[in-house]
Amino acid sequence: MTTCDDIEADKTGEQPGLIRLVLFFVMQGVAVILVGFAALFLSFEPVWSAERLQAGLVKPGDARSGSLLLKTDDGYADASRLGIDVDLTVSGPTVRARVTQIFRNPTKDWVEAVYVYPLPSGGAVDTLKMVIGDRVVVGDIKERQQAKIIYEQAKQNGQKAALTEQERPNIFTNSVANIGPGETVLVQIEYQEPVQQSGSEFSLRLPMVVAPRYNPKPVVQSVDFKPGDGGWGSTKSDPVPDRDRISPEVLDPATNAPVNPTRITVRLQAGFPLGEVKSHHHAIKTEKIDDSTSILRLAEGPVPADRDFELTWKPAAEKAPSVGLFREHIGNSDYLLAFVTPPAVEQAQQKPLPREVIFVIDNSGSMGGVSIVQAKASLSYALGRLQPNDRFNVIRFDHTMDVLFPSAVPADGEHVGRATSFVDALQANGGTEMVPAMRAALSDNASDTGYVRQVVFLTDGAIGNEQQLFETINALRGRSRIFMVGIGSAPNTYLMTRAAELGRGTFTHIGSVEQVEERMKSLFAKLENPAVTNLTAKFSDAAADITPVAIPDVYRDEPLVLAAKLDKLTGSVEIKGRIGDRPWVVTLPLANAAEGKGLSKLWARRKIADAEVARTTRQASPDDADKTILALALEHQLVTRLTSLVAVDKTPSRPEGATLKLSELPINLPAGWDFEKVFGERLRAPANPTERRADDRQAQVQVAALKRLQPIVTQAPSTVTLPKTATDAELKMIAGVILLTVSLILLMFTRRQMSLR
Amino acid sequence: MPRVILPLLLAVIGLILFGQGAYIHAKALVAQVLLERAFEKSIVTGRETKPWSWADTWPVARIEVTRLRASTIVLAGSSGQALAFGPGHVERTPDAGERGVAVYSAHRDTHFAFLKNVVVGDPIDVTRQDGRTFRYRVDATSIVRFDASGIDPFVDGHRLVLSTCWPFDAMTQGPERYLVHATMVEAAADSR
Repeated sequence: MTTCDDIEADKTGEQPGLIRLVLFFVMQGVAVILVGFAALFLSFEPVWSAERLQAGLVKPGDARSGSLLLKTDDGYADASRLGIDVDLTVSGPTVRARVTQIFRNPTKDWVEAVYVYPLPSGGAVDTLKMVIGDRVVVGDIKERQQAKIIYEQAKQNGQKAALTEQERPNIFTNSVANIGPGETVLVQIEYQEPVQQSGSEFSLRLPMVVAPRYNPKPVVQSVDFKPGDGGWGSTKSDPVPDRDRISPEVLDPATNAPVNPTRITVRLQAGFPLGEVKSHHHAIKTEKIDDSTSILRLAEGPVPADRDFELTWKPAAEKAPSVGLFREHIGNSDYLLAFVTPPAVEQAQQKPLPREVIFVIDNSGSMGGVSIVQAKASLSYALGRLQPNDRFNVIRFDHTMDVLFPSAVPADGEHVGRATSFVDALQANGGTEMVPAMRAALSDNASDTGYVRQVVFLTDGAIGNEQQLFETINALRGRSRIFMVGIGSAPNTYLMTRAAELGRGTFTHIGSVEQVEERMKSLFAKLENPAVTNLTAKFSDAAADITPVAIPDVYRDEPLVLAAKLDKLTGSVEIKGRIGDRPWVVTLPLANAAEGKGLSKLWARRKIADAEVARTTRQASPDDADKTILALALEHQLVTRLTSLVAVDKTPSRPEGATLKLSELPINLPAGWDFEKVFGERLRAPANPTERRADDRQAQVQVAALKRLQPIVTQAPSTVTLPKTATDAELKMIAGVILLTVSLILLMFTRRQMSLR
Repeated sequence: MPRVILPLLLAVIGLILFGQGAYIHAKALVAQVLLERAFEKSIVTGRETKPWSWADTWPVARIEVTRLRASTIVLAGSSGQALAFGPGHVERTPDAGERGVAVYSAHRDTHFAFLKNVVVGDPIDVTRQDGRTFRYRVDATSIVRFDASGIDPFVDGHRLVLSTCWPFDAMTQGPERYLVHATMVEAAADSR
């Protein structure tokens, strides 16, 4: 269509058109520069092409042994599946839980199944039952090593066996040996737990999934000096020696259907007429039996085990009972459990001291997704609540760390504004090196004693080296008090509660964005009002073994919880303390105590926690603490760090010669987590065609197996992984120029066509 | 009229793409100016100084190649955020001047574009935050995969590795990295 004639004909009108085109081009150039610089000054957001941090840091099971990988070599993932049934009975102050795990083996092989699962950190596990067909085998409590030997022996002999071990006070492992082809084995554990109370609200929390933990690498050895060693210390080489025991495989939610369906039933016998009953993260159906009893079930049937179940209930009466006293008689002893909520006393005479608040926010990869949103919202709320005469600072950490101000600054408009924009710009990425951040938060120049020093620590607690953190807190806490704020769908409650206890603060949990305001408000009530201090308890007649030994300070709306073992149930107990500047005394006659269940177990569990704390704080030598723990655990039949439950079926079932395969059950990623932020970019299916099998499922198995192998391939010891160092700037600019040129040509073409007409 | 819409649409998309590309370069340039200032200040004060108030990183060193008149300020950490503004000091490697291998990494098309002109024998000066300068001499270059760098950061000797993406003229991101290896020749006077 374009001919020489056309061009000739066009020549006359070309001159002004050309000028216009040149002008157009110049304008475009100016516009480009403007857009570029406008964008630049508007924000210094990260370049998208720039790569995020090497996520190899946070791979679970980093240091898996070769032998384990061998076992998983052939189709390990195509293995047993699990169903979970949880039955909770709340009777007054305690919860009795029965967790039934249904192990089904659909394969043609004999299988050993291993499942890592969480329990509440205050839970006392005392019963293990294994159900095979119509036979029930009841487990015995044994020292951990001995239990392991019994289990391994039974496994060798082809007998069915189950073993419950504690990895952390809130992480347990169940191993079930010799599940036959097509067989189903039920493993049932039971535990006892105290009900939580805050103000007029009672609550229980059932964790359902162990969140992937960040396990720091033993790059530098730390030296462990004990007092009295005369300068001779031992090197600790690995901060998380049992890393492979707490890092089960996590399924990528994008490519896998959720696993581990869970049913939950709660029999709620509060002991008082029930008001509002609320499940925070699951829909429930309520069946009312009478005023004070309800049965709750999940509304939509089984749910995947990927977030905590949280239930709260309130009394129908306006005012919650402020005192609860319960007793139980076991053997020759009486056990007592007391809840006392001190009154909220307004401070008339003197204004509270101004506060120095250090906020610490975790922006590691595990906080990706909704967790970081919750954390930022919480911190923004907190910054808004500061008073002008307070001082504050903000620390953020992943595997690196930043302290916003060189030292704490007055909470005036300018500083708070800077802190707010700092918090807004945070992104979740990288590993979780919590210890240096805690150390920085606790470094207190102590120059100004006119301030109350408080550390507010926002994290999901997804680390494996809890003990290191506790030791840091114990060594450095000084006058600071630590308030833990647990973020996300499955926070590490053991870390939160123990850190708060060692730091003489409290633990607040925020499980969804909706909870931010309400929970932060109640946290601030605790921060701003004086705590009840110098608490002591004295029994008038009975000789009592009280736990906790040193009663911690109690904050606004919290109850004081005491457990005691008594020789006789007579007289009364007198609790004394100071609320701010006023003395406070309450006397409870023991005869009025109501009958409770499982209190001895709670007492023993609490004593064991005391011993663990004493071990951390070096108030007791490790050997002494271990001896105490072992004695208590064996007497009260509890699973602890040192004791396990083991059940063995007497009759062998696996025929001789049939081999046994290990099957480690995978778990879900906690709800709201971002898989790639935690585990790095997804692996693609192997490209090698000979490795491929026809079956789709087999391919998945391989991917899963590769997932395991991968960390070992890339994480060769002490080599540096180089970051990605290319931008797509050139690509974009060239594409932009091409598009601009094309549009120019088209414009010219159009113009010519129009001028032709 | 509809004939004008398509070219205009293309022009707008082209503008946006070009703008984004230009933005990356502009950010790299402007950030370096701010970083230079912050770095001078931190040498004087001896404190970590943030280049802008909401930055999550701070300058830790200056790398200079006198022959190429190249000078660039290095940031702490090699996260994507940091690398947009300047070269990053790769985590868990020692500082320049310390025993071991200090590894710095930057984008091939911005701060480390000059690496392709670096030849064996070139001196590289690294000034630390504390004002001390160390001179290194390039003794090798190599191309490795990002996950098989073969660098042991705690090896004996005082070494330096500058890393960027390879090949230089590629348009897309690849797994290969270009490394410049250098060994320390002298530790300059305490001030400069």
